[in-house]
Amino acid sequence: MELVTIEGKWDFNYTYFAGESASRFFHELRENQRIMGTRCTKCEKLLVPARAYCDVCMSVTDEWVEVGPEGTLETFTIITTAFPGLPKPPIVMAYVTLDGADTALINLVHGMDLSDIEKAAQKLNALPRVRVEFIDEPKGRITDFSFKLI
Amino acid sequence: MTDAADVYIEGVAIELSWADRTRSLTELIFTTVSKAVDDAGRGYEGIDSVVLAAHDLVDGRSLSSMVTAPAAGAYLRDEVRYSDDGAGAFAAAVARIEADEAERSIVAAWGRASEHDVEEFSRALFDRIFLAPLGLEELHVSALNAQKWRIDGGDASHVETAQARRATAAKANPRALHAGGKRSTPAYPLASDHLPLWADVVAAVVISKRPSGVRIKGLGLSSEPSWLGDRGVAKAPALKRAAQRALSEAQIGVDEIELFEIDGMTLYDEAIALEAIGLAATGEGMRSLAHDPRCNPSGGSMAGYGVPAMGLARIVEATLQLRGAAGPVQQGRPRTAMASGQSVTAAQTQTVVVLEAA
Repeated sequence: MELVTIEGKWDFNYTYFAGESASRFFHELRENQRIMGTRCTKCEKLLVPARAYCDVCMSVTDEWVEVGPEGTLETFTIITTAFPGLPKPPIVMAYVTLDGADTALINLVHGMDLSDIEKAAQKLNALPRVRVEFIDEPKGRITDFSFKLI
Repeated sequence: MTDAADVYIEGVAIELSWADRTRSLTELIFTTVSKAVDDAGRGYEGIDSVVLAAHDLVDGRSLSSMVTAPAAGAYLRDEVRYSDDGAGAFAAAVARIEADEAERSIVAAWGRASEHDVEEFSRALFDRIFLAPLGLEELHVSALNAQKWRIDGGDASHVETAQARRATAAKANPRALHAGGKRSTPAYPLASDHLPLWADVVAAVVISKRPSGVRIKGLGLSSEPSWLGDRGVAKAPALKRAAQRALSEAQIGVDEIELFEIDGMTLYDEAIALEAIGLAATGEGMRSLAHDPRCNPSGGSMAGYGVPAMGLARIVEATLQLRGAAGPVQQGRPRTAMASGQSVTAAQTQTVVVLEAA
C-alpha cells in the first residue's frame, strides 16, 4: 500500500500597520537618512528603533532624538545561507549600539573581506566602531541602511 | 506566588521520530498521550482537563488544536490551548489544579519538524516590520548570543568536551532520535554539531493532587522584551528570573538540586542557561555542561528537538530521573530536579519547574 502524503503551502496576504512611531522612524530613514530613538518618560532610556512606549516600564515615550551615525559593535554572527533581498552570503549580522542610544540595533555589516571567516571574526571580536551607511535610494525600510567598520 | 506543593506528576511519555509516514500528527499525539495515561495507571478516571501546547505555524494547520486536541483526550473536557512551549502549558495546568478548577489533567505538547521547512518557519516567526526583512532566524539569535558569550570571556576551552558529552548522552538515551532528523546550516560561531537535531517530538504528562512519585515543588515564569536589541544578550535574564522564582517557591537553593534538564536550542544556549539559573558562574556554563553529570543527561538538543514540545520533554526526562527510570542515562537516584522550557521565538519567555521525588 502506498502511504499518502499531501503537499501544502500557506500563502496569505497581510497588511501590517506599522503605526505612527515606526512610520516616523522609517520616514526619517527615507527623507533625512538618520536613525531616530525615543526616550522613555520613566527610565529615561533612549530606545532605538523609535517606539511609542517602553515595554520595560510600561510608560510612553516622548522626546525624539537622533542617534549615531557611529556606534559600537556588541556581538555578531556570520551567516552563510542566502535570503531574498539580502546580499549574497556570507554576510555579517550584528547588534550595534549607536552613540547616544541605550539599546542595540540589529542589522547587516557591509564592506568586510569575508574570504577568511576566522580572520574576519577576529577583527569583529575587537568590537570595532562602525558607521551607519544608507543605500542610494532609501525606501523607508529597515534595509535602507547597514553598518560599516570605521 | 503559587503554592505548587500539592500537585504531583502521575504519568509521563515522550516519543521522538522522524518523518514516520505510517502515522499522521494526530496519531502520533494519540499514541504518546495514551502512553502517559497508561503510565499513570488509572486510565481516564477523573481526568477533567487538558492543556495543550501547540503552534499553528509549526503544525501547518490553522487552528491546529481544533484538529489535534481530540487526539490528546480533549473531548468533553475542560481544554486550554497554549500557543507556546510545553513547560508553560504545564505551569498553566498546575495552576488550574491548585485553583481547584481541575482535578486531574493531561498536558501535551508536540512539534513535527519533518513536515515543514524549519528555516522558513523560523523566519516567519519574527516581527514583520523591523526583523523579518533582514532574514533573521532563530539560530541566528543563538549565534549572536554565543558570540557575545565568547566576547565577554566565556570559557570556550570546554566546548569540545561539552559537545562530546552531549553526543555520548544522546547516543545512550533510548528516548533520543536515533535515525533521521535534520540539522540546519550553522552560522558563525556555531558548528553543525552544536545545533539541535530537528525531530518530530510529542511529550505528555498526567498531573493531579493525588500523591504520586514526583511532586512539583516550585514554578517560575518570566519574559524578556520583544525588541531583541533591548535584551540582555547572552545573559538570559528571563530564565534567571524564572529560576529564582521557582527556587524561592520550592524553598531550595540551586546547589541542592541534584539533576538539571535545561532547555537550550544549541550547545551555547545550554551553557548560557546553566549560568542564568545560577548553577554556573558567568562564563563557566560550558565547563558545567562538559563535566557536571547532573546537567542535561538526556543529551539536550542533541537528542532531538521539536518546538514547542521541548519544555515538556525536559520535564518528562527529569521525572524519569527522579523515578530512577531514565535507563542508560540514569544519574544515580536524584531526589530533586530542575527542568526548563523556552518559548518558540528566540527564548523570549522561560518556564522553570522544580521537582522532587515524593
